Amino acid sequence: MSTSAIIVNDLSKRYGNSHGVLALDHVTLSIEGGTVFGLMGPNGAGKTTLIKVLTGISDITSGTASVAGFDVQKESMQVRARIGWVAAEVILEDDFTTWENLWLQARLQDLKGWEERAEQLLQYFGLLDRKDDKVSHYSTGMRKKLEIALALLHQPTVIFMDEPTIGLDVATRRMLWDIVTGIHKEFGVTILLTTHYIEEADALCDRIAIIDRGRIVAEGTPSELKARVTSDIVELETSEAVSADLLSKIPGVQEVRAQGNDWIIQVAASEEFLPRLFATVRTDDIRRISVEKPSLETVFLQLTGHRIGQEEPMHDIRKFYAQMRRARS
Amino acid sequence: MRSQLWGLYVREVLRVFRNPFVVLVTLVQPFMWLAFFGSSFSNLAAASGKFGSGTYFAFLLPGTLSTSMLSVGMFGSMSAIQDKRFGFMKRILITPTSKQTIFLSKALGAATRGLIQVPVMVAAAVVFGVSFPLSPLEWAGWVLALFLLAFGFSSFFLAITAPATDWQTPGVVANFITMPLMFASAALFPSSSFPSWMQAISNVNPITFSATLGRSFLLGTSVDWWYLGDLAVFAALGVLIGYLVSARWLRVE
Repeated sequence: MSTSAIIVNDLSKRYGNSHGVLALDHVTLSIEGGTVFGLMGPNGAGKTTLIKVLTGISDITSGTASVAGFDVQKESMQVRARIGWVAAEVILEDDFTTWENLWLQARLQDLKGWEERAEQLLQYFGLLDRKDDKVSHYSTGMRKKLEIALALLHQPTVIFMDEPTIGLDVATRRMLWDIVTGIHKEFGVTILLTTHYIEEADALCDRIAIIDRGRIVAEGTPSELKARVTSDIVELETSEAVSADLLSKIPGVQEVRAQGNDWIIQVAASEEFLPRLFATVRTDDIRRISVEKPSLETVFLQLTGHRIGQEEPMHDIRKFYAQMRRARS
Repeated sequence: MRSQLWGLYVREVLRVFRNPFVVLVTLVQPFMWLAFFGSSFSNLAAASGKFGSGTYFAFLLPGTLSTSMLSVGMFGSMSAIQDKRFGFMKRILITPTSKQTIFLSKALGAATRGLIQVPVMVAAAVVFGVSFPLSPLEWAGWVLALFLLAFGFSSFFLAITAPATDWQTPGVVANFITMPLMFASAALFPSSSFPSWMQAISNVNPITFSATLGRSFLLGTSVDWWYLGDLAVFAALGVLIGYLVSARWLRVE
């Protein structure tokens, strides 16, 4: 029997007063038990806010949400006994050994007879022979593994992974992908992960919700989402001489979006479009051209009008300074 | 709640001992009070004849230990700020652990940290020639008084800094409250020579309760055990306020 592990119903979250940022805008979601579900969207889209709400860290402005059958607001303690959490940045007690970190987690989850499970998990992650080492001596990959072991210690129903591979090198990211797939099979746990890496969502998730500016803009399996986009995307950079009018008249063009001299053109088939483009526009007026076949990236582009990695520059700078401050403190 | 409280309390205490520098500072700071303040003032104190029958060091020790309990509150609060900054507060709260439990573990941890100063200070005082004519019951009473004082102060401190996430806040709050509370008490000088308005403060200052009680044990004057009751009321009030405030205003990050 498969039931919903997470149900989100018309959920909104506004930070601060009524003029504050609307981080989640009437989100409705249902996540089936035993699946890997991906929340995909750019930074600031509301992914982390949704995790905060579901784990009981943030309160709700309106709407309801339940995790593992319990209301996240009214039955927060029951929810928190049934979920695990893996942070984007690894959060461990560095001055403690692996075993002491597990002991603390067992105390926080009020577990009895946890030692056997802990040893099994350490065995599984290949950390058993280092259980008395201080965590501060660990590599990033080992720290991630221990954090996931902590999240699994109390046999949770759902594990939340917030940007699990952000800032990791390629090899460690690969390792983490294997771990996510592995623990999903081995422990039958439902996993909700957020990511702004499209290939990550594609590789790991049974289903994906695309979130942008606090709203879910699409949801489905990776192949369903890709099937929604039957058209190719052609991106152009041109001189001033090219107009939207000119481009939209080319046969096969479905939609033209402009940002100054940059164009995002949705076409039925790029193979047919390109010869027609060159027949219409002087090649001197084209500075750059790129063609994309349907992928999750083009799904996102088509649904939101911008790329997933594309952020407002101001946002970027503020984040940069925030990171600097954090690094210094 | 007992399981979580025990886990977090052990964490607080272990963390202190895992950091040798913190242990050193915790131990050296009150010792310096004895060495510098005590030495500079002891001849003057003996000449005035207002400091009881023993040496000034015997007079000062219970006072210094009491003011030290005031500063441990700052450490509990800094530990909370650290948890907020590094995300550990989130890690704790995504388990069935309440904010009140976090508050209690920090307050108890800070109080315990304060108490580790007692044996070191007592040993230091012996070096300065202080004798300890205390019965086991009196020892217990003295340590209990210091514990209640530290528990109360760290509770109030955590309540004040519950919404704070800035490293500077605990230091600023400590600077603000330490000076008046320390001088408007019987910790360093006998309050009988204070102006009346300062005596009024001193008479309700929990540092005075603890310092006076400890002093009566050390100097062999008549002991007023009711001070323990006063300190218990102070600690209970601090815990109650901290408990209520942390449930509502303890920031997560």
